Amino acid sequence: MNVQQSFARRGFLRGALATAVLAPMGGALASCASGGTTTTGPTGTVSDTNPFGLADNSTVDAVIFKGGYGIDYVDFAGSIFNKNHQGSTAKISPSTAISTELQPRFAGGNPPDLVDNSGAQSIGISTILDQLEDLQPVVDAKNLEGTPIKDTLYEGVLAPGTFNGKLVAINYVLTLFGVWYSASLFEANGWAPPKTWDEAFELGEKAKAKGKYLFLWGKEAASYYLELALSSAIKEGGDEVRVALENLKEDSWKHPALTKVFEALDKHVKAGHFKPGGSGTAFTAAQAQWSNGQEALLYPSGSWIENEMKDQTKADFKMTGAPVPTPSSSPKMPYEALHSGGGEPFIVPSQAKNKAGGKEILRIMLSKDAAANFAKTKLAPTVVKDTVPADGFGSTALVSQTKMLDAAGKNVFNWQFLDLYGMNKDVLVVWNAFLDGKSNAAKLAEDMQKMSDKIRNDSSIKKVEIK
Amino acid sequence: MSLPPPTAVLEGGRKAAIQSRRKNLTFDKVSFMAVFLGIPLAIYLVFVIWPFLQAFVYSLTDWSGFSPNYKFIGLDNYARIFTDDQFLKALSNNVILLIIVPLVTVVLSLVLAALVTVGGSSKGQVKGLKNSSFYRVVSFFPYTIPAVAIGIMWGQIYDPSGGLLNGALNALGLNFKDYAWLGNTNTAMACSIFVIIWGFVGFYMVLFIAGIKGIPAELFEAARIDGAGRFRTAVSVTIPMIRDNIQTAYVYLGIFALDAFVYMASLFPNAGGPENSTLVMSQQLFFTAFQRGQFGMATAMGVILAVATLLFSGLVFLVNKLTGGTDGGRL
Repeated sequence: MNVQQSFARRGFLRGALATAVLAPMGGALASCASGGTTTTGPTGTVSDTNPFGLADNSTVDAVIFKGGYGIDYVDFAGSIFNKNHQGSTAKISPSTAISTELQPRFAGGNPPDLVDNSGAQSIGISTILDQLEDLQPVVDAKNLEGTPIKDTLYEGVLAPGTFNGKLVAINYVLTLFGVWYSASLFEANGWAPPKTWDEAFELGEKAKAKGKYLFLWGKEAASYYLELALSSAIKEGGDEVRVALENLKEDSWKHPALTKVFEALDKHVKAGHFKPGGSGTAFTAAQAQWSNGQEALLYPSGSWIENEMKDQTKADFKMTGAPVPTPSSSPKMPYEALHSGGGEPFIVPSQAKNKAGGKEILRIMLSKDAAANFAKTKLAPTVVKDTVPADGFGSTALVSQTKMLDAAGKNVFNWQFLDLYGMNKDVLVVWNAFLDGKSNAAKLAEDMQKMSDKIRNDSSIKKVEIK
Repeated sequence: MSLPPPTAVLEGGRKAAIQSRRKNLTFDKVSFMAVFLGIPLAIYLVFVIWPFLQAFVYSLTDWSGFSPNYKFIGLDNYARIFTDDQFLKALSNNVILLIIVPLVTVVLSLVLAALVTVGGSSKGQVKGLKNSSFYRVVSFFPYTIPAVAIGIMWGQIYDPSGGLLNGALNALGLNFKDYAWLGNTNTAMACSIFVIIWGFVGFYMVLFIAGIKGIPAELFEAARIDGAGRFRTAVSVTIPMIRDNIQTAYVYLGIFALDAFVYMASLFPNAGGPENSTLVMSQQLFFTAFQRGQFGMATAMGVILAVATLLFSGLVFLVNKLTGGTDGGRL
């Protein structure tokens, strides 16, 4: 082999190596700089079967939180999409950390077309409010069966996704909050779910006599008792309690209705109706002590609890939900009134390349087949009405949910400020201390007020007015 | 492309060599410089220095992290952080970790390392305790478990009702039923520190063993002949000889103590422990960025964390020098 040739080849290889190393770096730099450009993809013809003008042969990029519900229900809608729009494809990707994973894409102006912004690491909605599409056209559109979507939804389900009067998120899963118990255990002992806090205290004493507790909690889920307290106080004092809290008003945590609820809870804590040690117990372990060990009678939670504890629930437990108790027997809202929130908020970023595609998948999900499929496979209702049969697919919890919803009628409420201002972390600290007996009703109200005041007085936090 | 024959370079004088180095910027030389000097430098600039500068710039803005828009607000973020009682609490927790974790870990792993290398029988050859290789392997185990798994595992052990710890204490006849080790302000931090040290001792022990093995055995023998006991040998021979290793360990552990995110986040998911008694700066940073959507503020916290780390390393070097360290140590 000729020496010069060999050298030439080496030089070439070096050069090639250098370019190979430098090229992607240049690309990375270029993509760093490309943030902020808006792209509007091509649009198709608007028709009843294509209400958002989805372009032919386009791709939809959906990022779905993979939690308790998995992502197969969106895959289901994706396959309908692929069938209905020949040539176009839906790419459904799972994510367990929406915020950290999508932050660069939002900052770079390259977000997905559809996002299920859920989970412990969801994006604080207030930070991206002005970067989200108005989803009103989706609920105004007709579903695949030809009925306008808004006529098929449960009462009040759009409220949790409406900020400053704009519908930016559609919560797909209907979540009810209440206290959950074992119907079989209650029946065997002749107990009934309490309607007032006095009844709750009596029940607590009865539980004690049986060597059980009334409540228990886990350290990451101490906030469930805040949910219980807020629901109870809003029912007692009416909507004004909620509005004041939502808008971080001064002394909103010292409303008489809240004071009464806090005092009632404090009485339970001091009487030993809470299983001690919750502040050092993982919430899943604590919940299993309730659903499997039956160490406590009641557990306040959302309706996901049945699905969450499916593998750790005692046979014949017959999990059933009931509305939360109130301080007086004549609250401003009826006992049946419910905190109905939404789970799995779906958003369409304004900067997405195929917004029409994102909306179209949402429309399919809100149509009958996909919604019925969700209810059947996840044993949880979507915001679409009439997808759960009378036997609730054999689930007592699902049957009780439908009953609670029907009984509540229009008396459903919801609040947003806790998520809106990312208060969960601080709430956990305060509530763990309270449930542990290390604080009291007055200090609890004080601590919560301080938390609210701190946000109100912080000019760097954008406030959202809520009605 | 042509190269001078190898002999030509050798024959040429120094001056000629310099000249040819300047003149003959052949493709080979340029590409050589590009690959071995330019690329590492570029990578260092792009991936280390540039993000540092970027972080500092972002810390002066009100960037939410999720939009391309932001405006400069000067040092407002820093002013806010230093008046925020939660961040100050987190800072003080980090300081507690910084004082205790490196000290206890280094002392403990030094003692163990000395025992398994030179702590054996005082007759005959200098050697470790019986079965020392077994202890060495066993104590290294915790380091092979990922930190998250360690956190979850110890979370279970500390569980008030079903945990191993309370079970053992109860079996001993002590009444620890339902005592929440991680739920009480007076035990949460201590328990977390224990977990961290448990996870690290094995690694630093192995590090020190390597250091001690590098000390000539004659030194130990000489010390023994002079009548030095085990403790005296450790203090007067072992420690001075592996001073640099100790300093390195101290700096690494200190940097870790200023972070401690993984352990704290897995022991206390979603919160900062009882009364924020285990909240650390990196957790506060994470919450601020991803839950509150205040990336500007969060980067300012990151800058403070970086400055604190630098100050600490500087302090360790200074102390080592003042107490008669060799050459200021090497990392």
